[in-house]
Amino acid sequence: MPMTDNSAGKTGAAPEGARARDRLALLTADNASVPLPAGVQAITAILLAVLLIALPWLGLGYRFLSIAITTLYTAIALYGLGLQFGQAGIMSVGHSALMGVGAYASAILSVQLGLGFWTSLPFAMALSAIVGGVIGPPTLRVGGQHYIIITFCFCALFVIVLTNGGTFTGSATGLDVGSVTPLPGINFDKLSNNYYLVLAALFLALAATYLIGNSRYGRKLRAIRENEQLARSVGINVDLHKLGVLMVSGLFAGLAGVLQLYYLRHISPTLFGAFPSLYLALMIMLGGARYLYGPLIGAVVVNFLPEVLNLDPVDSRIAYGVCLLLVILLLPGGVGAGIKNIYCAIAGESETQKQSGGSNGRA
Amino acid sequence: MDIFVQQLVNSLSVASVTILIGIGITLIFGLAGIVNFAHGEFLMVGGMATWFMVGAGMNFFVALVFAGLLVGALGFAAERCLFRFTLNRPMNGFIMSIGLSVILQHAVIRVFNEFQKSITDPVGLVWTIGGVDIIAMRAIVVAITAVIVAITYFGISRSRYGMALRASVSDRDTAELMGIPVRRYVTGVFIYGSLLAGIGGALMISLFPITPFTGSVIIIRGFAVSLIGGLGNVGGAVVGGLVLGLVDGLSAGYGYPEWTDAYSLVVMILILVLRPQGLLGGTLGPKAS
Repeated sequence: MPMTDNSAGKTGAAPEGARARDRLALLTADNASVPLPAGVQAITAILLAVLLIALPWLGLGYRFLSIAITTLYTAIALYGLGLQFGQAGIMSVGHSALMGVGAYASAILSVQLGLGFWTSLPFAMALSAIVGGVIGPPTLRVGGQHYIIITFCFCALFVIVLTNGGTFTGSATGLDVGSVTPLPGINFDKLSNNYYLVLAALFLALAATYLIGNSRYGRKLRAIRENEQLARSVGINVDLHKLGVLMVSGLFAGLAGVLQLYYLRHISPTLFGAFPSLYLALMIMLGGARYLYGPLIGAVVVNFLPEVLNLDPVDSRIAYGVCLLLVILLLPGGVGAGIKNIYCAIAGESETQKQSGGSNGRA
Repeated sequence: MDIFVQQLVNSLSVASVTILIGIGITLIFGLAGIVNFAHGEFLMVGGMATWFMVGAGMNFFVALVFAGLLVGALGFAAERCLFRFTLNRPMNGFIMSIGLSVILQHAVIRVFNEFQKSITDPVGLVWTIGGVDIIAMRAIVVAITAVIVAITYFGISRSRYGMALRASVSDRDTAELMGIPVRRYVTGVFIYGSLLAGIGGALMISLFPITPFTGSVIIIRGFAVSLIGGLGNVGGAVVGGLVLGLVDGLSAGYGYPEWTDAYSLVVMILILVLRPQGLLGGTLGPKAS
């Protein structure tokens, strides 16, 4: 998605300007389909894993770890959204409602039937996937922006239903649950153990995203994204694949929702309303949906930005908005694209272009 | 019966605001091809500006004009600085408008605060017609809306500019070849729609208190109205606004007020799924990407 025609066109015709323009073009180019060398991919993955695992031991304090947990479960939901938007091109601005379905399913199972974290998790994830799948077919008929508006409506409707649900959904005050059922020797009341639980789920989500992205299935999804008619004409079952990716996305959202529920121990409708959904959309656009680490980058930036800049909630929301505008105008591929392009610029164009034949192009 | 007539007049005045925002959206979405999610915030900004100016001692009707002009200028800035760059990628424009709406909402909270604002009834008269008490301001709101609707309707369907505008929607390239400055028209429609939102906001605060979060509620209703009527269809937006406004107003009076917001959402989902071109036909909006 090069935006160079607007942003770089004004640089001027002087040699200086031309060079600057080339560099800018390099930074905003769409490199999502250019694969990185296997070694670089492996090193990035190992470094990231080591960093994330070591995080609780760095002595950064309780508050930092809490934000880290929030970031990680948000990132899990974002990986689902990343699959449906980045791979299949189906954007949603109601994604937190799917998280809410998972969280509320788990909470209601806990309140009504006394099921714990591990036993309710499969049900909650399955329900989110089903809801994702049920909403999909009728709404996918209408493409593009209409679909986005519908997802937003469903999200708002979900909140109204929860608020008017009486004691079953706990109305506006919401529901409470106990702590995660301890495994032998591991008590999840300890914050660092809770962190590792969420981290394990994130690694699962990362692995699933990587595998799907590099599979035949992922290639078909990208074919649908690029040209639906063409994909249909070469025999790809477009509707089935879209349905599938929405259900997988729902699965991720359900997992994230249950993790959120058992981290906060309390949920209320506003956690899953319009604003949280919009922030998910912001994070995915910010990070770059087409890049393996894009959703994680988006979640980290958005969750830690107010903390780093020491902003109050109002200012941080203004900052989010400004970030979103800047990213879309200047860096349509997200920060993930920016980082990858910087890498490509440093590593040298020739090296990356030599290998641009493959299709597993994810940094 | 008296109560019913009063409810009806009240609902009509509520419907007027809905119609104004619906027309703005139907024009911007259907004719300019921009999905502006910040349109509700434009209305809210218009209302807040009116509140501020009336609070500073200005006459309400003068403040109304200034609010319209202010929000029109805001629309001009937004179109020139933001949406202009995403005309070929409406999806990005849509996401950007969400960012803009977050910014506007919290900028208003930053400048004023998050509490609700209201002004005293600028006319303060009650007319008694046939034994029914009608608050004069509500009737004036309906009248102003009717005038605006008439101007917009004839502007789009009869005037030279409206014709050129519709030509650029149905075939942009040909329209450009015929010498129609399409981009300028897009900007113009955007400004006009924003201006209506500003006036709508001013009228709204004369009816009930508004908060910085009013915009995100009213935008859903605005989209519902424009989609019911068919995008780009001014008459359709009026019908949609009347239907939705009456359902809203009457349900608040008689039915289940806690579900009021849900009605417009359900109506909108059903229409989008079953008849994406709107009940009364329209331009189908910009080509879905």
